[in-house]
Amino acid sequence: MRSKFMAASAALAACVALAACGGDDSDNDSAASAASGDKPAEQAKLSGEASVWIMDPGSPALQKVFKSYATKFQAANPGTKVDIEFVPWAQAHDKFTTAIAGGKVPDVAEMGTTWTPEFAEQGAFAEQPDIGEGKYVSSLVDAASYDGKVWGKPWYAGARGLIYRKDVLEKAGVEPPKTWDDMKAAAKAIKEKGGGIYPVAYTGLTEHMYLPTVWQAGGEIATQDGDTWKSALGSPQAAEAIKYYTDFYKEGYVPKAAIGWEEPDAQEAFINGDIAMLIGGGWGYEAIVDTKKSLADKIGTALEPAGPSGEGTAFAGGSHLVVFEESDNKDLANAFVDFMLEPDNLNEFTSQIGFLPGTVDGIQASGYLEDPIKKPFAEQLLDHSKVYPPSPRWGALEGANIFDSEIQKVMKGDQSPEEAAKNLASKMDEEFAG
Amino acid sequence: MTTPASTAVAVGRAQRAPRSGGLQRVQRTVARLTLPVLLLLPALVIIVGLVGYPLGKTIWLSFTETRLGDLADGSGEWVGLDNFKEALTDAQLRTSLINTVVFGTLCVAGTMVLGFAVALLLNQKLKGRGFFALAMLLPWAVPALAASAIWKWLFDDRYGFVNWALVNIGFDRFQDFAWFADRETAYVAIFVTVVWQSFPFVALSLLAGLQTLPKDTLDAASVDGATAWQRFRLVTLPLLRPIVAVLVVFSTIWDFKIFDQVYAMAQGVPDRAADTAAVAAYREAFALGHYGLGSAVAVILFLVLLVFSLVYVRLIGREGRT
Repeated sequence: MRSKFMAASAALAACVALAACGGDDSDNDSAASAASGDKPAEQAKLSGEASVWIMDPGSPALQKVFKSYATKFQAANPGTKVDIEFVPWAQAHDKFTTAIAGGKVPDVAEMGTTWTPEFAEQGAFAEQPDIGEGKYVSSLVDAASYDGKVWGKPWYAGARGLIYRKDVLEKAGVEPPKTWDDMKAAAKAIKEKGGGIYPVAYTGLTEHMYLPTVWQAGGEIATQDGDTWKSALGSPQAAEAIKYYTDFYKEGYVPKAAIGWEEPDAQEAFINGDIAMLIGGGWGYEAIVDTKKSLADKIGTALEPAGPSGEGTAFAGGSHLVVFEESDNKDLANAFVDFMLEPDNLNEFTSQIGFLPGTVDGIQASGYLEDPIKKPFAEQLLDHSKVYPPSPRWGALEGANIFDSEIQKVMKGDQSPEEAAKNLASKMDEEFAG
Repeated sequence: MTTPASTAVAVGRAQRAPRSGGLQRVQRTVARLTLPVLLLLPALVIIVGLVGYPLGKTIWLSFTETRLGDLADGSGEWVGLDNFKEALTDAQLRTSLINTVVFGTLCVAGTMVLGFAVALLLNQKLKGRGFFALAMLLPWAVPALAASAIWKWLFDDRYGFVNWALVNIGFDRFQDFAWFADRETAYVAIFVTVVWQSFPFVALSLLAGLQTLPKDTLDAASVDGATAWQRFRLVTLPLLRPIVAVLVVFSTIWDFKIFDQVYAMAQGVPDRAADTAAVAAYREAFALGHYGLGSAVAVILFLVLLVFSLVYVRLIGREGRT
């Protein structure tokens, strides 16, 4: 009995040792094969299990694509098991924080680009040394950098544009708005002649809806001074942006409940036919059409309306794929990351949603610019977008929603846009100071 | 040569002789206590490990400035009472503590009143009483987060049943009424959810209590001409007081540290004005990474609960003596 057990455990130990050695080899293989671009599936020595957290794309079709990565990877690498779990964006920051604090991390995760420096500062991620020159979109590599090293591989990026109901705008007799003034006029017309539909869903939560209006007004969100960041939200431009955004609510162009809405709530309202215009990305458009096919013919897309700066700048958001430092199986984790980043796999997902792939090969292989309905989202990202300050503190700022309260208070009429701008600046500086 | 040694032995003997009585007593005490201590040990280890350690660690954290990186190696910086000062001066955190006491108390009151009403109803000779008692338990069995999601949907501005029903019985102002756009109305919805979930336990306990009441006392009161209300106030209530006291303590502890319902339903309330202390502590620690400040809020909540519990325990103790 005992000798059998000993033999078994010895064999097991040998397997583990072999797997570890094999893992090292295959790592080199994958780097080599990814560089030459052929047959990266030849990593026969991978074994074990990897858990992967992917942000919930909110669309069953996309969930299927992600699940198929796991199936295909397992088929190419017998003896491995990849378990994909979907995490809603709204809870993701808390969930990662809790997981890291408790040491219960997945092996691989999709990470919002603004969060990567924050968790990298905590030592949560394994370094990505073989990131290579010219292989990835450089701004996304910058967003993954902290302390001179790269901590995540760029996966995809996107920017929000304007999604609108062609039929409602027609009924109200307005063209798709190109400027802030157009937007206000369109909202007024839809309120009066739109047949009971609310003009737009400017929400009280989800800062990606209102923070970019500061850029549109010609302001900045924060400026870097050496190693530290300083908020730039105390500016008159920021106050003007907050006034513009919140006026829609005060004028009754936005449902009363939207003061407590997140972006998905606004999207749901659009799907239900309660909202005529929506600030949303290509992923949002896909989810809408996927959920309610009858809307497909009625939806138009455009760039975000331009503010006083003359630009309709949007936030360039996206994701990195990271491997956790505490992963038990980094070889498998890295192999699966590289697998997801292969141009074919990448495009299977990004082409459906108007996202830009995070790899140069992926961008070349995609054909998103030919599709008229998705083209505005791509143009928005390429020509009319910016990123938030890549400070390790930014993720915590987002996670804590320090912005929402001040915006909500203006919406309710409890304070002026100027006061909100001033409070936001001091709150941000407090967080930047740590 | 041998003298010192033998002296020592003699002294040893001399000393041991009078001590042996005490030693025996000690031995007997140890023998008597060994078994109980051994039997209690597993429970003690678990209590110290699962309650004592986290409690001690939280209290320690509340005096430090700790970030996520410091949490693993415990390298937080000692800042004295700074966290407590901030917890009591920061507008949102102070509001959350006040919310906890006010809203928690209201929930306890609501739970007790509804629990009593249902218990009294079920104590009547009703047809299908067993069925109703069982059905009453269902809300209690629903996970709090699921219940919150359902109630949030029932209170939805456009598609919720509540607004639909209110408009249909003539309250037109509830057309598209946004319950979660203000603290007070959000609390109405959360109050309903909390009470709906916690009254079954209270009702069931009170029902059990009601059925142990001596019938002849009530009958005597009846014969003496006491009205139903007088019978309830002067006979039923005093007899049930020990049970009521325990239930109030339990409800207070549950409703003051209420988390799930508030976390799920109050998320969009402007300025987070409807957060309770438990939610604020969680957000401060896990969303903002201020583990010290979050712990301070948790410690304050703990102290508040401790005071309430001690007061109630003393009240119960007094009941027992009289």
